[in-house]
Amino acid sequence: MHKSKIKNYLIDFGTPVAFFIGACGLWEAVVRLFHIRPYMLPAPTAVFKEIINQNFTLLEHTRVTMTEAVLGFLIANTLAFAVATLFAHSSFLEKGLYPYAIALKTTPIVALAPLLVLWFGTDIRSKVVAAGLISFFPVLVNATRGLRTVDEEALDLFESLNASKWQVFRFLRFPNSLPYIFSALKVSSSLSIVGAIVGEFVGANQGLGYLILISSYHLETASMFAAIVAAAIGGVAFFALVSLIERRVLVWQEPSEE
Amino acid sequence: MSLTLEANEVTKSFGSLQVLNRISLSIAKTEFISIVGPSGCGKSTLLKIIGGLIKPTSGTILLDGVSPVRRRREGYLGFVFQKPVLLPWRKLEQNVRLPLEILHNHSSSHVRIRKVLELLGLSGFEDAYPRQLSGGMQQRAALARVFLYEPSLLLMDEPFGAVDEITRTRLNFKLLNVWEEYQSTILFVTHSVEEAVLLADRVVVLSPRPAKVEAMINITLPRPRSMETLNRNDFHELVQCTRAKLKTT
Repeated sequence: MHKSKIKNYLIDFGTPVAFFIGACGLWEAVVRLFHIRPYMLPAPTAVFKEIINQNFTLLEHTRVTMTEAVLGFLIANTLAFAVATLFAHSSFLEKGLYPYAIALKTTPIVALAPLLVLWFGTDIRSKVVAAGLISFFPVLVNATRGLRTVDEEALDLFESLNASKWQVFRFLRFPNSLPYIFSALKVSSSLSIVGAIVGEFVGANQGLGYLILISSYHLETASMFAAIVAAAIGGVAFFALVSLIERRVLVWQEPSEE
Repeated sequence: MSLTLEANEVTKSFGSLQVLNRISLSIAKTEFISIVGPSGCGKSTLLKIIGGLIKPTSGTILLDGVSPVRRRREGYLGFVFQKPVLLPWRKLEQNVRLPLEILHNHSSSHVRIRKVLELLGLSGFEDAYPRQLSGGMQQRAALARVFLYEPSLLLMDEPFGAVDEITRTRLNFKLLNVWEEYQSTILFVTHSVEEAVLLADRVVVLSPRPAKVEAMINITLPRPRSMETLNRNDFHELVQCTRAKLKTT
């Protein structure tokens, strides 16, 4: 029993790792065999060397980008939840504002980024706003739905006990919306990093977006890859953190396959 | 605790659709009344009017001399629905405790919760989430939740309509046990004539829509009722008599 469990773990984690090593090997072989120039495609060993060499600079750029992303994420989702609460209690507000929310959502963040830099400057604020704008809508939409779609009979139950609006919110609507909110948070955790990097592309002097842009000017492709890897790891880590909190909060749910 | 119910010529229309037609009922303290009628005849509407959730078009209802809306606000009324309506994020004990939290009534709640869980055979499952419970247990938890705050009038809308026959019979006897313990007045809407007769002191038979009181049948079976009751001849006679009054169209 115990042995087969360990075996399962090995298969679950070992398989993707094996594929990763295989892909890197193939990549390395292709670069060497065909003498691909390093500014077009650096070998994985070169990227790895670059990551080691950059060490603290890469970490510092990652820290900057993640700070912007997480700040934007936190501020935007708090606001999104507040607006969703208003929407859920007033169809008047929802009817009036929802179309504009959708319009803003469908406007690409890339199109807005220069404006944000113009308004908020090249420091952290424009990136926080960019990260916030992009991670605002998933929670707005899902939280509104989660607060709304409560069981009719549960509402009857609360009414029969003469519950106040606040009690209906606290005991019924809010817990009901949590699964919806968490699935949106997982989406916006990744999006917030996109927002931060796009903001850095337009005007910044630090961060992974800045590092990618500068590396491309100097054709330091290995450094660019190092930044991309850092952004990917940051994104996965943020997503994993949100998923972990979700599992802690939604203990009452059926354990689901990820 | 229990209360009396006086319904006088209660009529309800939704637009041009008349649902209830001059329904008058007089129910004494601690009576158990079953209501049967063809489906769609307005049984649920009648229950909601008595519970003060919707207003009648005309006619009056008094619960111990006071309007249903006020009785509901004072926490005298309890509803049980066809679905158990447990909140999936609350453990069983937290679900049962919900009415006390809403009514801000925390007096000796631990003792009361333990007692009601014991009565309904739910001891030991306090920490289970609803999804971990069977349908019968979920419905027992819904009963525990409503009896916990000791409402004087219980309005039950086909509470056991969604469970299988065997579970339903068990739940029927459980309900009778708890009712004898808490002594409330009960209005019990059901599709099943057998269930209506088995439980009640009197069975109200409603006509097809617009519903009026077609017949009122005294159930003279002795209490406490048990599995033996189901084998009695007078039980079968009462079931047949009720069924004869029940027009299906």
